[in-house]
Amino acid sequence: MKQWQEYHLLSRIRSFFWAIPALIWQILLLYIPLVFVLMRSFVDKESHFTLSYYVELFDATHFIILLRSLALAATTAIICLIIAYPVAYFLSMYMSRFKNVLLFFLIIPFWTSLLVQLYAWFSILDKHGFLNIILQKLGIISQPYHVLNTPFAVYLVSIYCYIPFMIMPIYSILEKLDMRLREASLDLGATRWETFRRVTVPLSMPGIKTGFFLVFIPAFGEFVIPILLGGGKQLYVGSLITHYFLVSRSSGLGAAFTWLSSVILIIATVIMHWLFVRVVTPRKTRRAMYEPTK
Amino acid sequence: MRSIRLENVTKSYDGDIVIENLSLTIPSGKFFALLGPSGSGKTSLLRLIAGFETADSGSIFLGHEEITHMPIHKRNINTVFQNYALFPHMDVFDNVAYGLTIRRVPQDIIEQKVIKILKAVHLEKQIYKSIHQLSGGQQQRVALARAIITEPDVLLLDEPLAALDLKLREKMLIELIELQDTLKTTFVYVTHDQFEALTVADYMAIMNHDGVIEQIGTPKEIYEFPTSSFVAQFVGSTNIFSGAIKDGAFEIQDLGLLQIVMPDKSWAVQGAQALMSVRPEKIEISKSKLEGFSNELQAKVEAIVYHGRSTQYNVRLSNGMLLQVFEQNEEHFPYEVIDYDDMVYLYWQKENVVMLER
Amino acid sequence: MNQQNKTCSYIFPCLVAAFYMFLYVPIIILIISSFNASAYSYEWRGFSLTWYHQLWESVEVWEALRNSCIVATASVVLSLVLGLMFVVFAAGTWLDHLLLTFYGSLAAPEIVLAVGLLSFFTFFSVPLGLTTLIAGHTLIGLGYVVPLLHSRFHELSYVLTEASLDLGADYRTTFFRVILPLLSPALMASALLTFILSFDDFIISFFCTGGTTQTLPLYFFSVIRSGASPIINALSSVFLLVSSIVVLLFSSLKIRNMDFF
Repeated sequence: MKQWQEYHLLSRIRSFFWAIPALIWQILLLYIPLVFVLMRSFVDKESHFTLSYYVELFDATHFIILLRSLALAATTAIICLIIAYPVAYFLSMYMSRFKNVLLFFLIIPFWTSLLVQLYAWFSILDKHGFLNIILQKLGIISQPYHVLNTPFAVYLVSIYCYIPFMIMPIYSILEKLDMRLREASLDLGATRWETFRRVTVPLSMPGIKTGFFLVFIPAFGEFVIPILLGGGKQLYVGSLITHYFLVSRSSGLGAAFTWLSSVILIIATVIMHWLFVRVVTPRKTRRAMYEPTK
Repeated sequence: MRSIRLENVTKSYDGDIVIENLSLTIPSGKFFALLGPSGSGKTSLLRLIAGFETADSGSIFLGHEEITHMPIHKRNINTVFQNYALFPHMDVFDNVAYGLTIRRVPQDIIEQKVIKILKAVHLEKQIYKSIHQLSGGQQQRVALARAIITEPDVLLLDEPLAALDLKLREKMLIELIELQDTLKTTFVYVTHDQFEALTVADYMAIMNHDGVIEQIGTPKEIYEFPTSSFVAQFVGSTNIFSGAIKDGAFEIQDLGLLQIVMPDKSWAVQGAQALMSVRPEKIEISKSKLEGFSNELQAKVEAIVYHGRSTQYNVRLSNGMLLQVFEQNEEHFPYEVIDYDDMVYLYWQKENVVMLER
Repeated sequence: MNQQNKTCSYIFPCLVAAFYMFLYVPIIILIISSFNASAYSYEWRGFSLTWYHQLWESVEVWEALRNSCIVATASVVLSLVLGLMFVVFAAGTWLDHLLLTFYGSLAAPEIVLAVGLLSFFTFFSVPLGLTTLIAGHTLIGLGYVVPLLHSRFHELSYVLTEASLDLGADYRTTFFRVILPLLSPALMASALLTFILSFDDFIISFFCTGGTTQTLPLYFFSVIRSGASPIINALSSVFLLVSSIVVLLFSSLKIRNMDFF
């Protein structure tokens, strides 16, 4: 829309001016603070440059915490994908009559606060909660089983809370998929499974990628679920950061750890992304991508 | 009603020159058509007149007023867009009334005018419908009504009938002619379809691939007397012979001498290389010999295409050239039936060809 | 083929049904518990609205609700205004390329944003409270509003703008009569989205509120932490109701669902 700016009702300078506040907001409250945090991680209490915080972080405990969060994020994302894809597929391909109703019920938990969703499981997983009652009544266990405050609870509720994030992008892209491509594949002799594998899945890859990272990245920094459902005994990245900043008030250490985990997250994301490309793009296309054009 | 005049207008996009030093006068009150192939720059020219683009150099005049740098909304020129550009959030009435509404015309006058104009385009029954409920042809007419209600000096039409089917297009063309006749507004109609241009125009210009106007004239002038081979081939179909002028006639290699009327042009001298354009409908095709024609050739029928009102014969001459011949299907049961691989005679009068410079 | 059809038509619906059950069983149990006369969810003592009464009487809850609404509304207004200004005025200039900066808040885990905001505010000794919360939530809101409005704005055929100008309307009139009405579904959608995101938000609120102000999610958290009281069963039901209303509003906007992905 080149002409819009050319023809603007205000002169060039003034129009510039109106677009700026939003940018300032972003930069001021997002990017500059991140720089602050970075700087804080290198400055000790006497305002001297130091690497002590980072040194302090290079021990086994921190390493384990990082791994634990990565494991949580990756597992959650993968399991969410496994569950979400069929549901999204089903919703987009069939059920045109009830689609709106089903979508409606899908979005509600999505837009309900994390805490409500979390609490719903809280009372179920509790020692006196629903799950235990059912299991006892069914005779599977004799005594109340400690489900709360276990990693199992953390994983279960993570998956529960993040599934809608995985379904939405996949559904969105499957819905827009041109039916005629599938028809063409079937027409040319492919079975339904082959069509799925060779046509539908590759075409829905952007949605899968989006969904995956939409789950992976936030899940990595998740702390509410571990704190409330994990009993706080096992620390995750999020809960440790919270601890550093809000409990022990060691903001320097917290800043260092925040940046360290962010870097780890970025590296993990890049690796995952690379893996995605490797897995999805067939060898021939990949070769064509890297070969110089003749 | 004012005329449009362009003087030495140049326009380029991202370094690509689309129109160079173009000068053109569009007379006022007439239906003017600008015909050219896709990508020739005719839409750019229209947009320059409307104001959506600014010329790199040159001037544009509306009557005596220079509008080269005048903003779009100040020019008293309205456009009918190719895809109609109707406002989806307004109904038919509001769309049509838009130009008047923003000029703060009193509501009762607006109503009067809208109803009047919708009657003129035969849409009075759809007045409060949402535009999504209308067919393509109806949307087209809303766009038209919207553009003419403010009585602009010039109405620009950018391939407005491109999205309609054939029958509807033919109908709309007639309606447009009648409309222009009634309103006497200058219409500038841009199209790549020569049938449309020839039908509606009082006056037309042909633009070639490079954005240069090759010829301006009435449709008949352009069709019957093209001044370049591009025009001859773009407007209608034609057969082009390549040869040289020799002793007052036209010599074609391996074919012989054909009788022509020597053109009154400086280049038409003995030995000059030239082109001869013979329209397919000017050629008489017959299995038997006929008398009274200036030129006769023999050929073999290679293809026959039935077009309903006419039949097209593709015939091969002795020198290897392929010619097109149109015969009007005057009779249900013609006396002579021409079939594939028949040897036929081709005849035309020397006055019915156009000589062009090579 | 037929064999596959059969399995498809039986297995699939079962899987999806199971999924929806998984999704809603906790929620339904929660709602039912809120009507349980007993304070403990494992015994049913009859239908009762006591917890809703307590909720209604609770001063804390009302204050938290008030704060949540204030923050959410303010964030919506700010995000929409700032976002719209950016989209409209940056269009066609080099500023438009800076659209990418608005994706930053979506790309990072919320805790990183929260940490940044906290450090920023403490550094400048800004008292933590409603204002800082609004600032933070607006940041989040912009991350959704700007991309959404931007794509919708540029999707809007510029031919419509041209048509309006061509017919004699100047740019100001064109903006208010043509562009804004056509953008309104997107505006409404981003408004609803920002509202619910702010209303539900926990992480940034947790970090930026300094313990003095409480929003509903924070109240929730503190009650769960301190041993859970049945009152939050009732509160959860209310939350769910609010979400349902917002979703209904959203779907009535007739935008293609989930297009902001």
